[in-house]
Amino acid sequence: MNGIDVAGPQIAVLGAAGVILLVDALVPQQRRLLPFIALIGLAVSALWTISWVARDDYQTAFGGTLSLDHFSVFFYFLFAGITAMVVLASIDWVNREGRGQGEYYALVLTACSGLMFLSAGRDLITIFIALELSSIPQYVLAGWGKDVRSSEAGLKYLLLGAIASSLLLYGMALLYGVTGTTMLAEIGETIAWSGDANRSVLVVAMTLLIAGFGFKMAVVPFQMWVPDVYQGAPTPVAAYLSVGSKAAAFAVVTRIFFEALGARFLSDDWSNVFAVLAAVTMTVGNVMAIVQTDIKRMLGYSSIAQAGNFLVGLAAISVAGGEFTLGASGVLFFLAAYAFTNLGVFVAVIAISQKIGSDQIRDYAGMWKRSPFLSLGLAFCLVSLTGIPPTAGFWAKLYIFNAGIRADLTWLVVVGVLNSLVSAYYYWGVIRQLFTGASEDSTAIRTSPSIGLSLGVAAAGVFVFGILPMPLISAARDAAAIFAQH
Amino acid sequence: MLYEYGQIGILLVIALVFPVGALVTSWALGFVRIRPKNVSNPVKDDIYECGLRTEGPSLVQFNFRFYYIALLFVLFDVELVFLFPWALVFDKVGWAGYFEGLSFIGILGLGILYAWRKRALEWRL
Repeated sequence: MNGIDVAGPQIAVLGAAGVILLVDALVPQQRRLLPFIALIGLAVSALWTISWVARDDYQTAFGGTLSLDHFSVFFYFLFAGITAMVVLASIDWVNREGRGQGEYYALVLTACSGLMFLSAGRDLITIFIALELSSIPQYVLAGWGKDVRSSEAGLKYLLLGAIASSLLLYGMALLYGVTGTTMLAEIGETIAWSGDANRSVLVVAMTLLIAGFGFKMAVVPFQMWVPDVYQGAPTPVAAYLSVGSKAAAFAVVTRIFFEALGARFLSDDWSNVFAVLAAVTMTVGNVMAIVQTDIKRMLGYSSIAQAGNFLVGLAAISVAGGEFTLGASGVLFFLAAYAFTNLGVFVAVIAISQKIGSDQIRDYAGMWKRSPFLSLGLAFCLVSLTGIPPTAGFWAKLYIFNAGIRADLTWLVVVGVLNSLVSAYYYWGVIRQLFTGASEDSTAIRTSPSIGLSLGVAAAGVFVFGILPMPLISAARDAAAIFAQH
Repeated sequence: MLYEYGQIGILLVIALVFPVGALVTSWALGFVRIRPKNVSNPVKDDIYECGLRTEGPSLVQFNFRFYYIALLFVLFDVELVFLFPWALVFDKVGWAGYFEGLSFIGILGLGILYAWRKRALEWRL
């Protein structure tokens, strides 16, 4: 029974998914209630997590494979919030699409529970199954639209995802072969005990893990699928992929590399790998984003570039010496700030693109006159993505670059700052279109309550954490502190 | 460690030699004229189906509804796989185990309910 209590947040989400399917099948005339059931399930999940925080009795369950700690609690809240925003942003689109409404919300919730399990897994097998639990619904969701592009996106995501999963599994198999256990903590102990006797095999395993998770994190050179899938998939799903699965991948990479592969002779290696990947990822993402004319493709490349920023935090780990977890807390803080910001951008894009029927950036011209609310929200979130105060994105970049400097990665921080300048070019290009461009159509765009609410929450989050970042920073520090016992 | 990988290396060599050898041999046999002139006859050109005579063309379209049936079959097949061990230890796991099994069957029952309401069990739409 204790296990059920520990896994309660996930079970609440899965239960809501089941209720949604049943309501959809048994009382189809009540379909408009489905998103609210999803939101209730997410609220129950968050309340359950709060009850664990209140009990302050962190523990593991199912033989230590599932860990309830500050780290997973941080991500439980993050994923419940992300999914709630995605559900809110999906309502209009799903109602218009008409078919498979119950299945849509059920799949979104199932993916959410997978993401939660992913952030809490402390065992390679649990992590792999959680990864599949979150990935398979996302493959289906990416191909949800009826047009060819969406099918292409779904198929591409599925095939490349399957390859990434197999690479990952191979890496895990090598880790198991060297250490004889699948538990992360025991792997760490075995490696620390045996020293660098099996260094070459461990490096191969590490490389395979980085490749497998690199696909989910969307870092170069595993980023090819991102622009195509973001462009083809329904926009709410693209928002979910860009925030949810990326955050979960970073969570699990942080956990595996800190807990299992944290030994000094390995962490020097992987922090170098992450530093190089960070520089390449930022540069490729930003340079490719400049030439995009489709806003969803542009956001795809921008999310690749942001993944490069997160990687700075992972790279800043080992060399930081005493402040082992500064980089990790930077990654967590950046992930939360990025979640608000990027969801805000996507929600605004959903609202605008639905009305004007186009994803082209030039069609966003003069949007300020047609919908001041959407334009301001979108512009504010884009400012945050660039990293300019008073937004959460500014503190995120400051924090993570600070971690980089402390870790003697000055060259990487210089690359990051230069890349921020490059990114300002294309983010401000969109803002300029919004406010200065002229459009022949000047009919006002009415925003539905659900879109308005989710955009309002996102923008408010970006603003509040841009003014008062300390609560979020201290939560991220607490979460990262579980790795500090090394 | 390296010695054990050596055994895998031998396997790798065999795995390479076998197909390459077959290809090279068949290519080399092309230069040796030992075949009779007329090699084709209807029986030989026929599709090989475990020695049985084939019936009809091979490009038959299956009704896509078999897909639903197959999915449901897999679902309940897997259910049985999990129920057998439960049945074996049924008298030892007590009431907790009994209710865990019941809830498992219940969730699958909801699955049937869903499939039925979504008309996956009907042959005609």
